[in-house]
Amino acid sequence: MTNTKLIVSHAPFWHNGDSLIKQNLNYIIALLPAALFGVFQFGAPALGVLALATSSAMLWEMIMSIISKQKIAIGDMDSAVIGLLFGMMVPATMPWWVVITGTFITVVMGKYAFGGTGGNSFHPTLVGIAILTMSWPAFMDFDTAYVSYQFDFTALAPLAALKSQGTPALALFPNCDLLMGNEMGGIGSTFGLGIIIGGIYLMLKGYTRWEVVVSFIAGIVITSSIFYVLHPDTYAPPLFHLLTGYTLLGAFFLAVENSSSPVNRIPMLIYGFTGGLMIILVRNIGIYPDGTVLSILLINLINPLIDTIKPKALGKGVSNA
Amino acid sequence: MIKRSFFALSKPRLTYDLLDTSLQSAEELAVPGSLTLLLPEEIDSAKKALIGPGDAVKKGQKLKLYDDSRSYVLSPVAGTIKGLDSYSDDFGNPATYVMIKSDPSVKGDDQWAQLDLDETLEFAADYLEQLPGALPVSTLTNPNYDIRTIVVTGADTDILCDTCQFVCTSYAGLMVAGAKILKRMTRADRFCITVPENLSAQVDLDGFNVLRTSNTYPSNLPAMVMKDHFGKTLSPGQAPEDKGVCFIRPEVLVSLARTYETGRPVFDKVITLIDKGGQKHRVKAAIGTPISKIFTCFNVQINERDRIIIGGPMRGFATYTVHHPVVPDMDTIIVQDADVVPEISDNACINCGNCVRICPANVPVNLLVRYLEANLYDEAADRFDLESCIECGLCSYVCRAKIPVYQYIRLGKQELLTLRENA
Repeated sequence: MTNTKLIVSHAPFWHNGDSLIKQNLNYIIALLPAALFGVFQFGAPALGVLALATSSAMLWEMIMSIISKQKIAIGDMDSAVIGLLFGMMVPATMPWWVVITGTFITVVMGKYAFGGTGGNSFHPTLVGIAILTMSWPAFMDFDTAYVSYQFDFTALAPLAALKSQGTPALALFPNCDLLMGNEMGGIGSTFGLGIIIGGIYLMLKGYTRWEVVVSFIAGIVITSSIFYVLHPDTYAPPLFHLLTGYTLLGAFFLAVENSSSPVNRIPMLIYGFTGGLMIILVRNIGIYPDGTVLSILLINLINPLIDTIKPKALGKGVSNA
Repeated sequence: MIKRSFFALSKPRLTYDLLDTSLQSAEELAVPGSLTLLLPEEIDSAKKALIGPGDAVKKGQKLKLYDDSRSYVLSPVAGTIKGLDSYSDDFGNPATYVMIKSDPSVKGDDQWAQLDLDETLEFAADYLEQLPGALPVSTLTNPNYDIRTIVVTGADTDILCDTCQFVCTSYAGLMVAGAKILKRMTRADRFCITVPENLSAQVDLDGFNVLRTSNTYPSNLPAMVMKDHFGKTLSPGQAPEDKGVCFIRPEVLVSLARTYETGRPVFDKVITLIDKGGQKHRVKAAIGTPISKIFTCFNVQINERDRIIIGGPMRGFATYTVHHPVVPDMDTIIVQDADVVPEISDNACINCGNCVRICPANVPVNLLVRYLEANLYDEAADRFDLESCIECGLCSYVCRAKIPVYQYIRLGKQELLTLRENA
């Protein structure tokens, strides 16, 4: 016992056992129902895109951490999650080189340009998706992507149909179909029920903040209700907005990304609500069919500003008289 | 170790341990043949030392390094000094180990036989600073403070510890007597004692205001007691002393009472040892006893890469040697097996916000830690409330990226003090 070498470190000597790898594995578990449904719905090409997106994102991470001489943190699975999310947001027929370019933008420009895990001020996946939408709109267009597919439901992307045909198109999309994934869209963004279950699992596990999710959904519901009540002939009802496009994926998985969202309660509520509000404004007034990507990037941008609304620290602002 | 629960919608709660009633009494540990005393002063080779190897010491003799030294220790045994060695604590503060070989045959005038035990702070500063429980004489004698309230921490400040509760329930009578002595010494007119609200043991504490504290960590920490029970929120950088409140351990009162009763200083310190299995052992060991003797007494095997924690799991410190001596303010020793030592990392903050939501002082820890990592201490204090931190350690406990947040904060506070002193 005389010369036993002991571990010396600073307090506290306990930890609650949480870790990055646990967080990211839980994200993947939560994403699996929606992703598996996409594979079931769109077949082997969907599996190929998901696998390629996840693996290439991890590969870019590896390459970047070697180039930037940072600790190789591929084991934290952070890139796996953003790669998987990327795969879930694109159509199953996307060519391989677009997927790899997309994950390059996602990991290198969305994450590493800002300094790696924790440094990104925007959700990396959304950076990738936004740039692809601008650069290759044809590959991101769901109507052309699934031309060769046979579906037993309306083979039209709901939001694009709404944009081009107006409210008469709503009759083509029963809410039940939208919830159960009988719609056109990204591989993992169609199965509403799966996304909701996964999202609630993550919230209960404490890996996503319920304040953001709830206020995000509230923002969508309240804003679209106002539009709908004022002009029911021109605008879609709230439930349609909630169940189409990237809305649910955005509410449960994208807006809540740690480093690009606020941590204090009031800012979280403002952040989420603004996100929901912006989506409906883009959809109802703007030119894009789905505003989720842009509106979440926008709230990512205002995050540092609103997160300064914080409670006073102990003893601050107390008079010493 | 308390792990994250499966569902974690609400923030985790750490609760204080209540007194372990299965341990009715403390086991007395025989005074070992060689002791090490920790003297809080650096060896200065330019000065002529008053003590050196080979010097005979008597029981209770006051040992100090130099003529002008303020710090001293009392020798718990009669014997000879074997040697002096330098020591530095976890913040690099230097101190000196005084190693004494016990020799009962050493005889001589007993300093204490001729002493008149005055009930004054001057006497306490001269002779009683090193009593078991560590009397905070530097706080009590500091002319800048006007200490009117003394709070006895009957409820242990760290989780898992129950030494203070044990002392309160076992030596209530002596505590009351000690409080009377301390009252005559100081200008304090109010004695309070914190007691866990769920403690079932009935203790008769005459003359104390009882403050019932919640069982949720960190409600027993001085800053929280000040806020919850006295309604005095400490401004950033302020200590309870600035508001006229001094926190002491219950064991100080017991030691005072026994010292004034017998006219001789006491040296046995009550310590709770928590072994690798979480089993508690209560022991009374003389100050200066190497803690390895305590491990041997309870058959606790210390292996490579284990961790020995002095104090509680949230606020204690890890020692690098099993020869570390028992010191007056040592309440708890925890042995942590190498397998359960949690790792820390150099990850960047991922901004998950767990620390922000658990912080009892509302410190924006996520932003603060970024400034501390970049050594920007002034900005950290001015803009991100570094000095509001009450040092509970919860931020590190919940950190998903396993950043040693609490370590950065304490380092930051230390560096800030140095910066201000040099300014």
